Amino acid sequence: MKIIIRIIFCLSFGALTLQANAHHAFTAEFDPKAPINITGKVVKVEWINPHAWVHVEVEDEKGKIIWMVEGGTPNTLIRNGITRETLVPGTVIIVRGYQSKGRLCLPRCIANGRDVTFPDGSKVFMGSSGTGAPRDGADPRDSKRK
Amino acid sequence: MKSIKGTVLFFLITVFSYAEAGEVMTTWFGDPDLQGTWTNASLTTLERPDNYTSLLVTEEQANSAATLAADFTEAIDNPYEEGESPKAGENVGGYNTAWMDPGTQLFQINGEYRSSILTYPEDGKLPRKWITWGIEAPSIYRMFTRANHPEQRSLGERCLVGFGSSGGPPMLNVLYNNNYQIVQSPGYVMILVEMVHDARIIRLEGSPLPDHIKPWLGDSIGHWEGNTLVVKTKNHHLQQRFRGAIRHQILITENAEVTEKFTRTSADEILYEFSVNDDVAYKDVWRGEMPLRRAEGNIYEYACHEGNYSMANILAGAREEERRNQ
Repeated sequence: MKIIIRIIFCLSFGALTLQANAHHAFTAEFDPKAPINITGKVVKVEWINPHAWVHVEVEDEKGKIIWMVEGGTPNTLIRNGITRETLVPGTVIIVRGYQSKGRLCLPRCIANGRDVTFPDGSKVFMGSSGTGAPRDGADPRDSKRK
Repeated sequence: MKSIKGTVLFFLITVFSYAEAGEVMTTWFGDPDLQGTWTNASLTTLERPDNYTSLLVTEEQANSAATLAADFTEAIDNPYEEGESPKAGENVGGYNTAWMDPGTQLFQINGEYRSSILTYPEDGKLPRKWITWGIEAPSIYRMFTRANHPEQRSLGERCLVGFGSSGGPPMLNVLYNNNYQIVQSPGYVMILVEMVHDARIIRLEGSPLPDHIKPWLGDSIGHWEGNTLVVKTKNHHLQQRFRGAIRHQILITENAEVTEKFTRTSADEILYEFSVNDDVAYKDVWRGEMPLRRAEGNIYEYACHEGNYSMANILAGAREEERRNQ
């Protein structure tokens, strides 16, 4: 009986773990089946909690569209040396991540910034909002839990 | 500039006071001074990982833990080769380390590395009553699977309190925003929790609130025992029963009694001890301790609601999923 209850709880919490990793779970907001790889110019950075948002203007054959890319909490970014001077409007960046589950792009497309680099390959450092299904990666024990 | 000078002066006075006198600094009204900005970021977690067999670990083990953590975060920071794109349905990866502040080492108390925050039970594991946890499971599951309206989502997503037990009590470390500011005034001690802007106001020698008033972080009443601030908290909020994070998962039921002790041990450190007496969710009392170390910089206003675009995105995503499944 105890084992059964334990299993029920662990199964329930298994999903909640995703929730608890960040302000929200990756899968609550983003779609792991909708990867993106965009290159564009930063037009605005919102230094707001619970997530910073980078607005990127991307131009393709259809014209220009703004992507809002979700990042980390500003307090933590600042402590890690990422400031307003790190990402100034006009900077070209490459964003690899996943689009929001809505995929509506009305009026802007929304994505998480799993990996953000400058064109020379150096890191801008963003992050997924939660882990989707896997672990966060910060905890060295994670590798054993996969 | 004035505030910077003031901060520097305050810091120097604090350090000087400890260095010269070796005595506990006091506030202008005579209470031991706990004020400042503190952090509990650490690789040490509430429960003891299975790879440790004792509370104390060697320096070699601590260095190994730090190296392992650094290697792992390096790996997740570099998930793609140059020019490679993410693939649909693959492991979406985890946080980039720039987003986190989980600490880089196991913490030390009296110069000894610790494998867990828990000091009792001695095995470093919570003495859970699994029947209570099993009863709680369905509501936990619903919390993250339903998205008809914001009230169905978790308190963290709703910007009401931080996730896990970051705000406490007991105050436990999570992956980031492990920062606290303590401010004292005559009769009160206030603890501002960085995530999600929670302020716990501890009334010294105060009377309990009526039972129907249940603050998000419980009803805390404190007193001084020598230089130690002792805080007892009851009247826990019903929706704060379950506190889940990667690093800990605890239940604190409404009538649990959480006792905390804050002792300033140096200019740059407070020893934080706690015990949890909750016979609904646990078979025994559990106790823990960890250092609060002086944090660099300020805590900025969190203002979570104002920027919480994610809630709208979550609800919109749920509606889109419904549309696709019709």
